[in-house]
Amino acid sequence: MLFIYTLLFLVLVVVAIFSTPLRAKVWTAFTLTGLGALWASIRAIGVLAGATPEKLWDLPETLFGGDSGSMDPLSALFAVLISIGSVASVLYSRGYLSHTLREKSPAHVSLHYTALTVMFYAMLGVVCSDGGISFLFFWELMTVASFLLILYDAQRREVSRAALAYLIMMHVGFVLLVVGFVRLDAVCGRATFDALGSYFQTKAPLPLFVVFLAGFGMKAGMFPLHVWLPEAHPAAPSHVSALMSGVMIKTGIYGILRTTAALGDLPVLRTAGLILLVLGIVTGLWGVILAAMQNDVKRLLAYSSIENVGIILLALGIAALGKASGNQLVALCGIAGALLHTLNHSFFKTLLFFGAGNILSQTHTTSLDALGGLSRHMPLTSLLFLTATAAICALPPLNGFISELLIYLGLLDGIASGSDILASAAGLASLALIGGLAVLAFTKLYGTVFLGSPRSHEVAEASEVDNLRLAAMALPLTGILVVGFFPRMAVAGVTRAAGFFLRTPSDAADWLLSPTLAAAGGIAWGLIAVVALLLWLRHRTLRGRRIVEGPTWGCGFTATNIRMQYTGESFSEGLQSIATSLTQNSGEGSPVGKGEIFPDAHRFDVGHRDRIGRLFSAWWVELLRLINQRVMRLRTGKINHYVLFALAFLVLVFLLSILNVI
Amino acid sequence: MALLNTLLLLLTALCIPGLINRTRARLAGRKGIRFAQHLHDVRLLLRKGAVYSTTTTVLFRTAPSVLLGTSFVALLFIPVGDLPPVLSFDGDVVAFAYLLALGRGALILAAMDTGSSFEGMGASREALYGALVEPALMLTFGTLALLSGHTSFAALFDAGAADDTKLIIVLLLAAYVLTKIVFTESGRLPVDDPRTHLELTMIHEVMCLDYCGVDLAYIKISTWLKGAALSMLAADAVAAALCPRWWVAAPLSVLLTGLSVGIVESTQARNKLIRNTTFILTITALAALIFFTGYLLHLNIGIQ
Repeated sequence: MLFIYTLLFLVLVVVAIFSTPLRAKVWTAFTLTGLGALWASIRAIGVLAGATPEKLWDLPETLFGGDSGSMDPLSALFAVLISIGSVASVLYSRGYLSHTLREKSPAHVSLHYTALTVMFYAMLGVVCSDGGISFLFFWELMTVASFLLILYDAQRREVSRAALAYLIMMHVGFVLLVVGFVRLDAVCGRATFDALGSYFQTKAPLPLFVVFLAGFGMKAGMFPLHVWLPEAHPAAPSHVSALMSGVMIKTGIYGILRTTAALGDLPVLRTAGLILLVLGIVTGLWGVILAAMQNDVKRLLAYSSIENVGIILLALGIAALGKASGNQLVALCGIAGALLHTLNHSFFKTLLFFGAGNILSQTHTTSLDALGGLSRHMPLTSLLFLTATAAICALPPLNGFISELLIYLGLLDGIASGSDILASAAGLASLALIGGLAVLAFTKLYGTVFLGSPRSHEVAEASEVDNLRLAAMALPLTGILVVGFFPRMAVAGVTRAAGFFLRTPSDAADWLLSPTLAAAGGIAWGLIAVVALLLWLRHRTLRGRRIVEGPTWGCGFTATNIRMQYTGESFSEGLQSIATSLTQNSGEGSPVGKGEIFPDAHRFDVGHRDRIGRLFSAWWVELLRLINQRVMRLRTGKINHYVLFALAFLVLVFLLSILNVI
Repeated sequence: MALLNTLLLLLTALCIPGLINRTRARLAGRKGIRFAQHLHDVRLLLRKGAVYSTTTTVLFRTAPSVLLGTSFVALLFIPVGDLPPVLSFDGDVVAFAYLLALGRGALILAAMDTGSSFEGMGASREALYGALVEPALMLTFGTLALLSGHTSFAALFDAGAADDTKLIIVLLLAAYVLTKIVFTESGRLPVDDPRTHLELTMIHEVMCLDYCGVDLAYIKISTWLKGAALSMLAADAVAAALCPRWWVAAPLSVLLTGLSVGIVESTQARNKLIRNTTFILTITALAALIFFTGYLLHLNIGIQ
């Protein structure tokens, strides 16, 4: 029944969007998404406030021995995240796509908005499903919808390539999930996440855990399965990048959370925790180092998503280790940090991708070395981008700081209480390095894009975007500020959602964390007050004094020009020189030689490609292609051949069943 | 008591630059400038007007206040010997590190705001060195947390070490790493030379090339505060090993940083810039080694 209803609903969405006039399609999609988001948010807030979760659907007799869906606090947290991200994305798309509407056919635009609406409901379905067939159904629906969303600019070759690569990798992940669920069904007779718990207790848990981790990790962008992210995000329209990076990859995190929670208190939890911790460290460092080297706004943001997934996995790992060794505080800090960082990342990454969209639509480029000085031309975008930049670097007084503070607290307490000293220390040092390098990556991004002087004419003539887009950006901004300035309230919701993993009563959790959180909130307000006071003092001191404006000090060199500004590439040159083995560096053209005292005009372009990307273009890909070519000979295109194949298949099945093989 | 703590820290912040200058002058056989010369310099700056580059935006004018504000708030977490700090909670070590990071980020962006290639150079170096020194700082805090079983500054140095020689060694080693971090973070030799006249080799100084007047004064004061906070941590570690009293820790922090920076600046040359990353990574390796030493001792204590 669920599937019939879903199909009916899909038809309804398609009819509604296809039948509205071109300019109004966005509003139809917005209404459809908004209503769903409103319903989901009200329900989710009810569940987070303590209402008992009830079944949303319950189908006793289906493929995997029954199928149901409900909204428990964890689902509720993700439902809130999905609702905010999706509504903001649809709202943002109005201004972002308006200039492309003339070029595209109405059917094309309708398909895009249908996919956008379906994507929202599919993600909601994924986090509300208890597992089994409906989970896989919504998961696949989400993949297909996001594939269609990436394809908006399908006429560009790199877009269709990236979309295809994305589709293939997602299906490799999907096959892993199917394998996992089928195995689960074969043993337990059901394929829900609850059944996973009993499976882990009766059978060897680690193989299935790894299968699920890989399947979900593919979606989340976990190392080394992250290669689709930096390709898909620059190819997709910016509001889709925001939706995918801010919200969709979180469904992968959701799956990993459920799988880890199903391990319960088994001894294998320690091994799983170590696996997650190590994966988190590697993913985080890989993501941030590669992010710092990118020279394209959206690629940089894509790598930073990988970094943040790494931080979330690291936090989950430390939570699992804490739970395995019976340390409540470490487990609580870890899981609360992981959940809050998931929420936080959805806020600031959505905002950053919207900012990237503003840059792209006003200047028609996302290359760092063509931008510059945008804060004069786009003051509000620049301010919003700066806020998100500070938040993603985990700087106080914003939300990223609160979640990383919790994770650090878990790590430090793991050391101080002596439960997992070495693992915590490794996490501590790595997280500190990730944090420091994130500051490098994002000061590079903000500094070269928004500060200094414009590096091209188009950039110099850019103007601010329309108010609707700014309003869409205000939605995630609210989240950033609320979590940053009222951390206790935010963490209270998160600890309730953490109940799936940890049976700490919420008042105990509040008691454990509240001194730190109250102080963090106090610091946020105090810092604002101190800085405001200092600004006022500065203003007072300078009043009546002579304030002169002049050119930037050129250190005695009088012929400076805009091209001499520090570029993004030169900003990360120091890091590049020590992390050169992580990337495959390419250079086009010839740089200025050392012996040239009076150099001529030179033109050169450097690129840093992910070494892991090579794994997916190595010898075995060629082998696969050759095998595929052989198999393709069977596809003759003649009906009589196909009938023959069917007959041969039937004969084969017949023979095998006679011989008792199957 | 908390007030006395803050006053002592401010006093330390004012004394350290004077002592560094004195030490350097004495070692070079000069009479040297007067002890409070840096205060007069700042007073002079506070009386000046301002010149701003036309390229800069409001961010450039706000950054010094953010930098000074973060340094000041970060200072409030630091205990002096046995005196309690103004603010103390579990995990304040993280807040301390990230407040300093916020100040650093603000100054880096301000430098990028001028559009000058020299300032970009300084900003890029500051960002990299700041990122690389972060793990060393955190691992040192981790070592102290391991020894004391607490995660806030106020209790971090309370390792009860005075009667255990093995812990004294770890504490002194932690103080050594912290002193090295002071060198790096406050832009001193061998990482950065505050007296150099070549912009191409500057790090911290080149980022403030376009600042003058009140803004430059703010930046200078915040450098003092940051230096004082970090050197007080080093002094606290030494004091915890020897005699955990405030009247030991406060003078010790001035002497420790003043003398060590003065001596190093008189006897060593600045690193080549490409050697700096190696230098800082060595500090991190050292911090990891000390953590491991602490871990082994911790295990040993557990067995007894």
